[in-house]
Amino acid sequence: MKRLIAILTGITLLLGLCSGCAPKHTQTVLLTPDPDGHVGKAVVTTAGGIQLLDTANAMTTISEPNAEPSTVTTASSEYLNKKFAQVLAVEPIPSEKFIIYFNNNTSEMTSESQSSFHKIIEAINKRKAIRIKISGHADSTGSDKLNIKLSCTRARFIRDLLVRQGITAEDIKVSSHGKGNQLIPTADNVSEPRNRRVEIIVR
Amino acid sequence: MKTMIFSLLILLFCISQAEAVHPDSIGHIQTLNGTATILRGDKSIPAVRALPVFRGDTIRTSKTGSLGIVLTDDTTFSLGPNSEIVMADYQFNPRDGKYSMITKMVKGTFSYISGLIGKLSPNSIKMDIPNATISVRGTKLLINIEAD
Repeated sequence: MKRLIAILTGITLLLGLCSGCAPKHTQTVLLTPDPDGHVGKAVVTTAGGIQLLDTANAMTTISEPNAEPSTVTTASSEYLNKKFAQVLAVEPIPSEKFIIYFNNNTSEMTSESQSSFHKIIEAINKRKAIRIKISGHADSTGSDKLNIKLSCTRARFIRDLLVRQGITAEDIKVSSHGKGNQLIPTADNVSEPRNRRVEIIVR
Repeated sequence: MKTMIFSLLILLFCISQAEAVHPDSIGHIQTLNGTATILRGDKSIPAVRALPVFRGDTIRTSKTGSLGIVLTDDTTFSLGPNSEIVMADYQFNPRDGKYSMITKMVKGTFSYISGLIGKLSPNSIKMDIPNATISVRGTKLLINIEAD
């Protein structure tokens, strides 16, 4: 009995402490579609219960420590814009990937790629990008040694071109893969124009 | 063997300095409006664009500040004004299959957009808010924690 009283006192004390120190501020978790439109899932767990969010703009609120998360409601666009306008305005633009193709065994861009090159510069400027990843690739014809050198030359060619257009060299990371990481998987010694490429990821 | 050494040399030759400067950084500040601070150990660093973020950093925006962080797996966290987040743990190592992303949001408004960890290892992601824990399956979340 004594022990029970001690335990009860302990629990009361703990509860008292918790309600005294834990923040009582309302907390809201809101699931919105991904930038590509897909709706994922989120599980919100408190000391009092669990709530699943799995539809667009599903929202749950926690108003008391230890309380169960509220039943799910759907957030209105007014609420969204009122509460989250500033954070939504500062969200980084998702990264964008470009592929530049080359003529066989050269670091000379195909004419199609030459004419779309300006899109890369535009994407960099739009984001004020500070992370640009360039990776060079070759198709599987020729020796490994040749392909590693070729993929590297291609990647550096694109890097130099960007730098000449005013992009900061320090923001660019270059790697080369030889015939590795093929876009179109092929056996060795297959001439595949789509593998003769440089990929550029702008962040 | 010769080929291997040659390949290695070419690879080294091809890797630029951009990320070698901060090899341990977990991400960087991509967007910034107004003022914000990174608390690292006992140092307080004014936020600027492109500033690297490290594991353990606390990021705090001023009453008029807001910013967006991009982590190395492409996850983004954006903070509205008067917000604070602790990047408690982060590991993105696809080669060894090691992933971890634990954040503690203290106050303010946040936007989370999942990156590669969300795709490869969603169970490694945990977001704490004062009275709850959030787990996710590849998604975008908005979170609001009312301040005093």
